[in-house]
Amino acid sequence: MICIQQVSKTFDQGRSFAVQEVDLEVGAGEFLVLLGESGCGKTTLLKMINRLVEPSRGRILVEERDVCRVDPVVLRRGIGYVFQGVGLFPHMTVAENVAVVPRLLNWEPSACRDRVDELLRLTGLSPRTHRDRKPHELSGGQRQRVGLARALAARPRIMLMDEPFGALDPMTRDGLQREFKRLQQTLNLTVVMVTHDMTEALLLADRIAVMKQGVLVGTGSPGQVLRNPSHPYIAALMETPRRQADQVESILRSGGEGK
Amino acid sequence: MTEAALADQLRLLPDYLGHHLTLTLVALFSGIAVCLPLAILVTRVKPLQWPVLTVASVAQTIPGLALLALMVPLLGRIGFLPAFIALLLYSMLPILRNTVTGILGVAPDILEAAEGLGMTSRQRLFRVELPLAAPVIIAGIRTATVWVVGSATLSTPVGATSLGNYIFSGLQTQNSTAVLVGCAAAAALAIVLDQLIRLGELAVAGRSRTKGWLAGAGLLFILLSTLILQIPTAKGSNVVVVGAKPFTEQYVLAEALAQRLTQAGLRAENRSSMGSMILFDALTAGHVDCYVDYSGTIWANVMKRQDLPPRADLLEQMKNWLQREHQVRVLGALGFENNYGLAVPKHKAEALELASIQDLARHAPHMTIGADFEFFVRPEWKALREAYRLDFREKRTFDPSLMYAAAREGVVDVISAYTTDGRIIEYDLAVLTDPLQALPPYDAVLVLSPAAARRAELVSALKGFDGIIDDGTMRAANKRVDVDGESPARAARFLLEAVGLSSPAKGGEGSDS
Ligand SMILES: Nc1ncnc2c1ncn2[C@@H]1O[C@H](COP(=O)(O)OP(=O)(O)O)[C@@H](O)[C@H]1O
Ligand SMILES: [Mg+2]
Repeated sequence: MICIQQVSKTFDQGRSFAVQEVDLEVGAGEFLVLLGESGCGKTTLLKMINRLVEPSRGRILVEERDVCRVDPVVLRRGIGYVFQGVGLFPHMTVAENVAVVPRLLNWEPSACRDRVDELLRLTGLSPRTHRDRKPHELSGGQRQRVGLARALAARPRIMLMDEPFGALDPMTRDGLQREFKRLQQTLNLTVVMVTHDMTEALLLADRIAVMKQGVLVGTGSPGQVLRNPSHPYIAALMETPRRQADQVESILRSGGEGK
Repeated sequence: MTEAALADQLRLLPDYLGHHLTLTLVALFSGIAVCLPLAILVTRVKPLQWPVLTVASVAQTIPGLALLALMVPLLGRIGFLPAFIALLLYSMLPILRNTVTGILGVAPDILEAAEGLGMTSRQRLFRVELPLAAPVIIAGIRTATVWVVGSATLSTPVGATSLGNYIFSGLQTQNSTAVLVGCAAAAALAIVLDQLIRLGELAVAGRSRTKGWLAGAGLLFILLSTLILQIPTAKGSNVVVVGAKPFTEQYVLAEALAQRLTQAGLRAENRSSMGSMILFDALTAGHVDCYVDYSGTIWANVMKRQDLPPRADLLEQMKNWLQREHQVRVLGALGFENNYGLAVPKHKAEALELASIQDLARHAPHMTIGADFEFFVRPEWKALREAYRLDFREKRTFDPSLMYAAAREGVVDVISAYTTDGRIIEYDLAVLTDPLQALPPYDAVLVLSPAAARRAELVSALKGFDGIIDDGTMRAANKRVDVDGESPARAARFLLEAVGLSSPAKGGEGSDS
């Protein structure tokens, strides 16, 4: 579905690389998580997929077509994108925000309206109370839901998501993560999601790709990266969730002894 | 302020307001039409930003009156066009600057979202950047509106009628009612337009139908009233344009000419408060059909002559020269002279034993001289200074209407008075004699543009003015305005009656049938 070949990006004529010689394939219906510390090049790599950033070297194919050879506007309308800072349009209502891409694609107004209501329900918002609000009248979590609804609006088969659950409290985040995972499976979406949260990566991903300083250090399923990491950096990264899981388990066990 | 004086002024309001509105609205709409695309271009092509905003800022720093006056020689025209262009330039900076600031102020993550969702750069502009920048852009338009309404009052001296006619003529004729009515009308207009735009903005931002209808109805009302106010003054080809320089005698004479033309069944329109040279150029170009000038002024300022032949000779030579060089016809000398003269308060003249300018020369180094804006740059001043070796301690310029009071109150010692001004007697001033004849004679002459000179009905309507107004009659008419507070139109009726050019019975009849 997405094929990244030897892609590099430099912002300073080659003195340093935000992304360096990355090779990565994402299959149809696969949920891939790009994991790494902040500043390691995840966002840059994600933006090259829909050409918000032009690769300095290498090639990216989306559904077999080189992204640099197609009209970027058409390309982007076919790919859902959830932005790191949500990026809702402050002058538009929730409904208008969600309907942006369908409108760009000249859907009938009634079709847009129905789709908005459907998506608001899907992302756990109430069409009646929320559709006519402005973004500043929503909570952070509600805004992220609207951002998700907006990305899904025109039924894309590919979703690019940049820390979509970043600004949420743990309860809300857990709920929304699970809802989205279910949605991804029912719609058979191809997802590339960026995060620096190891637990999130493990819980959502079919496959995790770990980046460090612009370089892809390895990929593997959650089980593989936890059990036999292919690189010491991956092992070090997984140390935290593993230790947390052990601690939680020991608490559970000691609780089970029924003091 | 009497009720009659106010009623006198309010009768002029529809005409002035109609012209003012037309000028303001056309300048503003054009300003918006030019500046919005220009500002958008500038945000797309960064290197243009600095030069465009700098040019607009420079236009803004030129004082309004100067900018308007500059347009006259630049465009070679008087009236609507130079006023329109100057006001357009004046409206540009706030609209340009606010639009650029507004568009560049849109947060980069919002722009990236717009791009990432697949908007073209055009769609980004219309769906995201302009709506988000709208409050700032509208604030700029509101600033421009207030500036343009205010500055439009300055278009009177370049020959465009506006609410400024009240202010300029009111200041010259010391008619505070006129000045107040002009200022109040301009202020009210600025407030109304500004609030209408605000209402429109609120309607759009709050998606309020009611406010939208109100704003729309208000704008429609203003547009319609502009049209209606303009209909009676819409120019037919046979309108006679009468010019006047910015002082009382000129207003009275222009009114007298207009009344006479109206009696003869012609349509007359006044262009008041124009600068001397602007007015002469407008006459030769045919934008003004007739006005009263003074032989000495044309001799020294237009013909650039420095010799001084006797009065009758000078008049004859000037007449021939105007006809030959500009096809301007001198229809006749009105009969009186309005000379430049140096005047001092009588008590001072007696104390210092001043009778002539020669006597004055000895005291000049301890004295301050006051004059109108033109005097010190006119050739007459140079001639006077050289002939009598005048060397004053200080020179000050005044609005002509304030000059006489300055002399009376001792703010200055000497002034460059007009000899037919009613205030010379009223304020107890003495005009010093000019034994060396450094100053030319200033016979009032009625001049016609080349086109006007060919119109038989116009010539015959104005023929009667030849040689019938003497110094005393003119001074009396001027005094009615300057001292007694009459309107120039009333003083003109007095003047026409005094010289037997109007039958009082005709006054009330529909004169423009
Ligand atoms: N537009 C840009 N210009 C210059 N440097 C950039 C730009 N975008 C990103 N970078 C640099 O590239 C590196 C990777 O950034 P990014 O992809 O945003 O990291 P991440 O999303 O993993 O936190 C960082 O060092 C960042 O400073
Ligand atoms: Mg990032």
